[in-house]
Amino acid sequence: MPDGTATLTRPADGRVNPLRAGVDVNRITDPCNIVFFGASGDLTKRMLLPAMYNLRLGDTLPNNYGIVGFSRTEWTDDEFRDEMKKAIDEFSRSGPAKDPMWSDFAKRLSYVAGDFDDVKCFQNLKEHLENNDKTLGTGGNVLFYLSTPPSLFSPIIDLIAQSGLGPEDNHTGWTRIIIEKPFGTDLASARALQTEVEKVFEEKQVYRIDHYLGKEPVQDIMALRFANVIFEPLWNRRYVDHVQITAAETVGVELRGGYYDHAGALRDMIQNHVTNLLALVAMEPPVNPRADAVRDEKYKVLTALRPIESSRVMLDTARGQYDAGSIAGQPVPGYRTEPDVDPHSNTETFAAVKFQIDNWRWADVPFYLRSGKRLARKTSEIAIRFKQIPHRLFGELGDSIDNNVLVMKIQPEEGVSLRFSAKVPGPKMHIRSVSMDFNYGTGFGVVSAPAYERLIGDAMRGDATLFTRWDAVETAWQAVMPILERWETTTDESFPNYPAGSQGPPSAERLLAADGREWRKI
Amino acid sequence: MITEAMHSTIETIKAELLTDTVATTTINFLVVIDDDAHRQWVLDRVTLIDDKHPARTIVLDTLSTGDAAKLNHDRIEIATGGMNPDDVRSLVQGLMIPEIPSVLWWTGDEIVDQPLFDPLIDIVDALVIDSSGSRTDNRTVRDLADFSQRRPTVALRDLAWMRLRPWQDMIAHFFDDPNLMEELFAIRNLEIVSGSEAEALYLGGWLASRLGWTACAHDEFCDRDGVTIPFTHRREGVGRRVRRVSVETGASTYVAALTPSDEGVVSVGVSGEKARPDRLVPLQAIDNASLIERAILEPPADEVFETALSMVGKILS
Repeated sequence: MPDGTATLTRPADGRVNPLRAGVDVNRITDPCNIVFFGASGDLTKRMLLPAMYNLRLGDTLPNNYGIVGFSRTEWTDDEFRDEMKKAIDEFSRSGPAKDPMWSDFAKRLSYVAGDFDDVKCFQNLKEHLENNDKTLGTGGNVLFYLSTPPSLFSPIIDLIAQSGLGPEDNHTGWTRIIIEKPFGTDLASARALQTEVEKVFEEKQVYRIDHYLGKEPVQDIMALRFANVIFEPLWNRRYVDHVQITAAETVGVELRGGYYDHAGALRDMIQNHVTNLLALVAMEPPVNPRADAVRDEKYKVLTALRPIESSRVMLDTARGQYDAGSIAGQPVPGYRTEPDVDPHSNTETFAAVKFQIDNWRWADVPFYLRSGKRLARKTSEIAIRFKQIPHRLFGELGDSIDNNVLVMKIQPEEGVSLRFSAKVPGPKMHIRSVSMDFNYGTGFGVVSAPAYERLIGDAMRGDATLFTRWDAVETAWQAVMPILERWETTTDESFPNYPAGSQGPPSAERLLAADGREWRKI
Repeated sequence: MITEAMHSTIETIKAELLTDTVATTTINFLVVIDDDAHRQWVLDRVTLIDDKHPARTIVLDTLSTGDAAKLNHDRIEIATGGMNPDDVRSLVQGLMIPEIPSVLWWTGDEIVDQPLFDPLIDIVDALVIDSSGSRTDNRTVRDLADFSQRRPTVALRDLAWMRLRPWQDMIAHFFDDPNLMEELFAIRNLEIVSGSEAEALYLGGWLASRLGWTACAHDEFCDRDGVTIPFTHRREGVGRRVRRVSVETGASTYVAALTPSDEGVVSVGVSGEKARPDRLVPLQAIDNASLIERAILEPPADEVFETALSMVGKILS
């Protein structure tokens, strides 16, 4: 039993705070300004400002911070605050904003109205930030957040540099930039955007956001693999039959028809979210948990993705487009009748891809990826299906002995489920499958913070672990380009080919049936 | 010695539990109820924890008599009124799952001269208690300090201590500023206002143990240079809540206090020579079920808590 005297002693250099022993610091230490480009947009209102407010309520923000909105809308500071108050009241997980916290937070909000192609407006922004440094003590540190339409990313980055807001011109603090997805619309445009980014920012200053990576269960993939001894020995071609990664939505394109009809499921989901999940599941153990060690391994495994040759695209992929149908008992329209969608659209709302990873661990283990809109259920999960037992020792005639399946559930449920075989009580050796479930959200008695809170906080701290590095983005584009090119040059005459509320198109079933396998039910 | 009837009860309950679907069990969770007015409140919290954690939950109701034990859904309820404490221990031990951690939530305020306390402590790894549960004086925390000296192998979790984490962070945060850190070693007065004694004592004990102070007289600490630091703790407001902490050095005063307009928010500031502007810190409302969950999940040894409790014992002795 300790005797009541601290084991910590007064440090000679006075640099260690003895009161911090056992008292976690979750607070971001560096003061900073965060600038939201596209501040009047939907993402800022629904996600970004509520995330900032909740970071404040969690006492995570530094003592000195400023939040600056920048967009074309002619708002004053007070009008911006009013709009953000309404947004927080409606969308914040902590409910409506209340005083005194709201008033305290609102004092840190300000707004600059301006065009995204006018250098004078960016110079105004620069003066505004310098003023914040003086009045709010933000220390010269700036985090830019690009939440505008992607077509504005390059012009904004260019004007950041021209107006002296870039990192080269910041002599008092750091400058970082968060770039929303999509990072390019194909390999060429991604490379072109990267060229613009590189002119102004070093890679370590760039945070390409994929909000999927901020979800707790996604982070738990690494914990499950590398904080347990029982899974990793089985995590290879010797024991794994195949892997299925699913990101299914029940929603349609809603108000994003104009954007989506030029994007499609492959660009919108597979190239980024789903490929990132594949990388986390398939990568080798990193040498340490730091950003670059993890991202090195993700990049390595993506480079091992076998390119799908043009001649194999139709064999190794499936695409679909939803027709009218029913979701949760309600009739919903088909894709081609959605607002801003071409009535003869050839855009896929469902994509399925079979990837092979050419490395020692995963040779001949297929990874089946699928994502779609207006499917039967909203679910995101990774299912590791293990091989059949080598010799059937138990089971009465007619009993099926299912493969073991480990499922990492990402949303809406968050957790892990393991299916295994067990004997049915009784005199005979009947075998049936049972499932052992762990629910992540409730298991630890805490509610997972929304992904944007986690990711913005990480960017303010300078932790890039959960952001995508350029080499991984480029490699993911390289992997999907043959598919995109083939799909864009061939019309799928079967479209629309799956009813809303179904499991997807028949071609997806055929993709797995050709290998003697079937999808997990959505 | 376990009786045949008791053995039969244990086997019957185990058999019933086994007919359920496959489930994982991570802890044995023992709960003792000794206050009729408190019973439903406790059971509600046990249900919340049951729902979240796969546990072998055994509720011991010292106020009830009747069947030795019964299964209520997945929870085992034992009416221990009138039972010999050693028999209770035997019964509970027979129902516990071996080789997983066992946690006792003692929901009452008294731990001294309680017939069930010592027998149950013998079979658990951790004790969860709230030394400012329904009391505002210092008796439970005093008994706990004494208990921790007697039984150092039992991991202690006091909800009163766990509620203090935001206040500890606020106080520590004053001195995260490199320009103020040296002030930690020049503290000359400490004043804490709280609704119950345990919180004030714990905060005082924590500061003293972290900074190498000794308890040199009643409500007085001495720092490493022998300088006396008066410790004033005043009871005010509702139980279980800290209202104000004031730390004075020769040069400055560091104050964290609930704001009058919203008692869920603390105003934190420094006045005097090293003045800093006030800032607001929201207090997250944490209910007891969540605290108990944390108590269950936290690592077995908490050196910071143990040294603080030891110091509390010295202040009170």
